[in-house]
Amino acid sequence: MRATPLKSLASLTLAVLLLAGCGQGLLGGGDEAATGEGPIVLGMLIPQSGSEAAIGPYMSNAAQLAVDEINAKGGVLGRTLQLKTADDACDPQSASAAANKLVTEGVHVSVGGYCSGATLPTLPIFGRANIPMIIPAANSQELVDQKLKHVFLINGTGSQQAEAAQKWIAKQGAKSVALMHDNTSYSKDIAVRAQGLLGDQVVITEAVTPKESDYSANITNVLAKKPDFVYWTGYFQEGGLIARQLRQAGYEGAIMVADGAVSPKLAEIAGDEAAEGVYATMTQTPETLRGAENWIAAYKKKYNADPGPYSNQSYDAVRLAAEAIAKAGGTDGTKIIAALEAVDGFPMFSGPLRFTPEHTLANGGFQILVVKDGAFTLQDPLQ
Amino acid sequence: MTQLVWNGLFVGSFYALVALGYSMVYGIIKLLNFAHGDLYMLGAFTGFAVLGAAGGVTSAAALPLLLAVLLATMVITGLAGVVLERVAYRPLRGAPRLSLLITAVGASFALEYGTRAVAGADPRVYPVRLGGTPLEVLGARLTLQQLVLTAVAVVLMIGLNLLVTRTREGRAMRAIALDPRTSALMGVDVNAVISRTFFLGSALAGAAGVMAGAYYGKIDFLMGFLIGLKAFTAAVIGGIGNIPGTMLGGLLLGLLESFGTFWLGGEWRDVFAFGVLILFLTVRPTGLLGERVTERV
Repeated sequence: MRATPLKSLASLTLAVLLLAGCGQGLLGGGDEAATGEGPIVLGMLIPQSGSEAAIGPYMSNAAQLAVDEINAKGGVLGRTLQLKTADDACDPQSASAAANKLVTEGVHVSVGGYCSGATLPTLPIFGRANIPMIIPAANSQELVDQKLKHVFLINGTGSQQAEAAQKWIAKQGAKSVALMHDNTSYSKDIAVRAQGLLGDQVVITEAVTPKESDYSANITNVLAKKPDFVYWTGYFQEGGLIARQLRQAGYEGAIMVADGAVSPKLAEIAGDEAAEGVYATMTQTPETLRGAENWIAAYKKKYNADPGPYSNQSYDAVRLAAEAIAKAGGTDGTKIIAALEAVDGFPMFSGPLRFTPEHTLANGGFQILVVKDGAFTLQDPLQ
Repeated sequence: MTQLVWNGLFVGSFYALVALGYSMVYGIIKLLNFAHGDLYMLGAFTGFAVLGAAGGVTSAAALPLLLAVLLATMVITGLAGVVLERVAYRPLRGAPRLSLLITAVGASFALEYGTRAVAGADPRVYPVRLGGTPLEVLGARLTLQQLVLTAVAVVLMIGLNLLVTRTREGRAMRAIALDPRTSALMGVDVNAVISRTFFLGSALAGAAGVMAGAYYGKIDFLMGFLIGLKAFTAAVIGGIGNIPGTMLGGLLLGLLESFGTFWLGGEWRDVFAFGVLILFLTVRPTGLLGERVTERV
């Protein structure tokens, strides 16, 4: 917050530079880049600092793995792929600055985007440069509501997630549901959609202030309505604290979190006891993928660590970008977008890919995970 | 209702502990030390490091061990505050107020991102957690550990108040607050007293940091920012520079937040709490117990 004036000044300067560049450099050089030699550059905005920094490496490592594999097979159209990452810090201002940086560095396709709130302001920045965006993780409905031609989501959307949540809540036979969100684009989106689906079952929708430590006031509010199911739709840091403080306040019903809170850190923050049995609505993770053993082994070999949330989606985003560039016969943004729209049955971890007219997945692929011994494991594929 | 009061008091006692450092420093050298919230963060990380060095501990020994860690951390954070003052503020003592303010903002960034460089951006989780068995008191649910933490906070605050009002050292502090130049002429070592003031304020922030780490569990390098702002607000409500007022201000802010959440829901909490504060300050600009500042030429 304090950094805002400084950062917005920086992004303004960048934007001005960029506009100046557009006048001569970028537009004039566009043809050359589209047909020219040299590597094809994929840009990736991920949180490398700030509250969500833990997710960044899971995404960039997996993307780099895909890039290396494709290059080992001869690259795309005879050119090598190159991955450029930039830090969006899960913050709109930093994300705008980072997106501008990637654009000036001449990326051809964007394959990043984790926090919806931070990804949202980057849409027009990539759009102006006609750079297609394959967004692996961010999934607020707001990202596709503007119907931008260059934006494609390969993660299930907020409404698909809310549907999965509603199915599981019905299956559990819960009667009174409390929704908790943190007022960010991503979080509120799911809560509002879940509220729409659940109707009268929702006894309270409580907004919390992110980045605090004490949520006891909010929890007192929630528990006063005696819910038997609490659904937290924000991120893992607050998720861990809320799960812990709910249990400390004597709440014994079910707790579920949305995909932004699926992280090994959640259980660590909540403590094993409070985290045990916490459900999550989540798309495919490396742990729940079937037939992904070779991929997991390759990842482990390269990074000496396990893949994590959104590793598989990031890996798929790079593969999909390469496929679309190959089909388009070059790096012209318009042709790549046409190629992405025409994709039918491209094999991904989430299943064969086809985009809806809104550029989202036809099937979100959400499933229910549960924390067992401190780790998220598959509870119900909801098929 | 009692639950709301208890929630507010518990959070408020953290605000009050952090706010005291703000208030003392402002009272003595009229500096808004924006890095103060980051000393709270530094305290949480120091406690984390000390606990890590102490190795595996059983939960039975958790409370006494934490108290030992608390003391060690207070000393370390206090010294960090002294160094901060020596490096960042003392050279600018005669400079315009605005330069000092900007230096304080700079110091805050340096502490935040310095910690990130050393400890990483990932949040850390305290190895010892104060969970505890809940008790029912007058309809409010609280834990023994919460009571201990609040008691520690109260003891620290009373100790500080005694020190400032009853000791020679405290008299020197108050003298400097009134007029540094005359105090120097009367033989008070102004620099030494200011150093000790920073030590005390920072040690209290460090104590709050360790207590927050041990109770809530999660610490990260930006954790001091929000509470720094809240503590500053608390200090202003109470009457900045006035120690009992600052304590009251912290508790009042905690209560306002608690009741704001209850009456209007989470989204409106800050609107309510800060709206009340603005109203309050228009009626009483010097804060709860602040004295009218006499014009000095």
